[in-house]
Amino acid sequence: MSKLNETDIQGFVLRGYNLPFARYLFLHFEDSARARALVGRLLPVITTGQRWDHGKPQSTANIAFTHRGLAAFDLPEATLLSFPVEFLQGMKDRAAILGDTGINAPEHWDKLWLDNHVHAWLGINGQSPEAVDARCSQIQALMQETGGAMQLAWQDAAAIMDDGKPTSREHFGYTDGFGNPDYLGVERSTQPGQGKLMPDGTWAPLATGELLLGYADEAGELPVAPVPHILACNGTFMVYRKLHQNLATFRAYLEERSAQYGGGMEKLAAKFIGRWRDGTPVELSPDWPDPAIVQDPNRNTNFTYGADPQGTRCPIGAHVRRVHPRDAFGFNGRLIDRRRITRRGLPYGRPVPEGEPASDAEDRGIVFMALNASLSRQFEFVQQQWIEYGNDAHQGNDKDMLIGNHRGHGKFVVQGDLSATNPPFLCTHLPNFVELRGGDYFFLPSITALGMIAMGLVDPR
Amino acid sequence: MPNQNGSVYGLTILSPIINDERATPSHDLQIRNYLATVPTGEGSPFALAPGTHLARLVVMDDVIYVGSPSIEEHLHSKYLVFESNCDGDLDSYLLGLATAVPQHLDAIWSHCVGYPGAANPQAFAAYMKACQIETTFYFAAVNDKSVPETLRALQTQRAVSDFIARHQGMNAALLQAEFAQFATRLKSEPLPASGSMGPLRGLKTGGRNE
Repeated sequence: MSKLNETDIQGFVLRGYNLPFARYLFLHFEDSARARALVGRLLPVITTGQRWDHGKPQSTANIAFTHRGLAAFDLPEATLLSFPVEFLQGMKDRAAILGDTGINAPEHWDKLWLDNHVHAWLGINGQSPEAVDARCSQIQALMQETGGAMQLAWQDAAAIMDDGKPTSREHFGYTDGFGNPDYLGVERSTQPGQGKLMPDGTWAPLATGELLLGYADEAGELPVAPVPHILACNGTFMVYRKLHQNLATFRAYLEERSAQYGGGMEKLAAKFIGRWRDGTPVELSPDWPDPAIVQDPNRNTNFTYGADPQGTRCPIGAHVRRVHPRDAFGFNGRLIDRRRITRRGLPYGRPVPEGEPASDAEDRGIVFMALNASLSRQFEFVQQQWIEYGNDAHQGNDKDMLIGNHRGHGKFVVQGDLSATNPPFLCTHLPNFVELRGGDYFFLPSITALGMIAMGLVDPR
Repeated sequence: MPNQNGSVYGLTILSPIINDERATPSHDLQIRNYLATVPTGEGSPFALAPGTHLARLVVMDDVIYVGSPSIEEHLHSKYLVFESNCDGDLDSYLLGLATAVPQHLDAIWSHCVGYPGAANPQAFAAYMKACQIETTFYFAAVNDKSVPETLRALQTQRAVSDFIARHQGMNAALLQAEFAQFATRLKSEPLPASGSMGPLRGLKTGGRNE
């Protein structure tokens, strides 16, 4: 496998920019010719995967389209109909499959998503709010000059700051963003634990086709993709989910339950996720957080669950063990290699330091974005089987402790041993700590494909 | 020995479906239509009759040619496939079905060649055995326990889990007293109905997700 053509792939796909500020614009196209003209003008603005030899830029810009958005360009019917069915339907119509029901059902989403007007996502990341503003103004000027798109709404997001320095913590206090997979051909500083587990215990990059269309996937097949091939190649599918966090509920629940738990509050918080709040993997350090492990790229994602089948170190239903089971299902981890996703995203809303009063009602949460070659095989499977159900993890009907749609009836088992500080413990009556407030499925095309869309050259024949 | 795995019997039955060009809708479609409405859970005929761990009914139209290099072949008939992992002795299982749910059996198998009806349980059992083929694979989730034992185990698991949730943290003496009471009460609980202990899943399944 040779190196990928990084200048043809949007940078957002190949790397997490690690820029602390972001604004996501949601656009609506009214006229196909003007919309294509806008994409043409945006082409030189879009950030590619080219390496940053001269340091990080002040800001980046990337673009992706819903199926309705692609239809608004008047792409040929034969192309539009060739997209995978879940992308054609969009995330709202997949609610019953995803478990987005009850309080997470589309009727409770932000108004933006209710009338199916979102055609494009335009993601801007920046080193400062000013850099984001500047890039945003530049793009809005192009929108105005071409009349190509109407801005329906925007979502600001930002890393939570510690003494003015960006952190990778989210609102519940957990350090996030470990363990995105490695892929063949993607140049990135890799670390053990981020690809797929090999029979000899080492880690290797996943097949490129698990992330990008047009390349062989883990089954040696090309992922399902639209025609023509050149429209699909070097593109990927993106899930956008605005996840509201009920901070007051989370803190109250943790405090109340940990009062009865022999391991104390921080240990219970760590058992929920499988990482201590500083990011230390519970599997590697079950009794206390260890900053030395967090700092060590050879250790912070480098672990398996094979020696902990009872979950006495990391509970079997802990969040990270559910969504990235590694070797937990046996067969050297091979059962999960086609269920991996690449995550992007940042928190939104005002952070509230521990000890200060917080309310669930405040607009606060995380913008979760996932990239994968197959929405149904990768993201939807993880969401349905590993988050909203527990059978694969031998946890019956139990859902993911943190992001499951519990409706007050959830249960989470903390496996334990005979020691006083690691007792078995049941968490019952789980509320929804996280609620879905909207989102959709997007197609994130290559630079070539964007050019073809702009020039009206998409031809499925 | 095929057909028997520990205490579990593996039953596989292939019944040829009547091929009658004048029948509208065709007999195979009439079976499909009925199967689409058969209740699952506690109302399932296989929950109403004793002894079924798992049962599956499939209409098999033909073998599908998937292209070269495979060889194109066809069945002589359409078949109704009935697979069941059940308790114990085959005769008593079949007689139990005929006695408990004859109307379901007749609605399904009356579209099959030579079916005598379930009104005479002995004739029904003889017909089914004439259509039987060997079973060599079993449903992996069925262990070597009988259906009543499995139901009792599921009931116990659920009750103990609830007990722990309600009593964790209680002082030892009180906990022991509570547990003794709980254990006595649990023993006297009636056996839950077949089909009542399944997963409570609000998710829509299907597609390529499972």
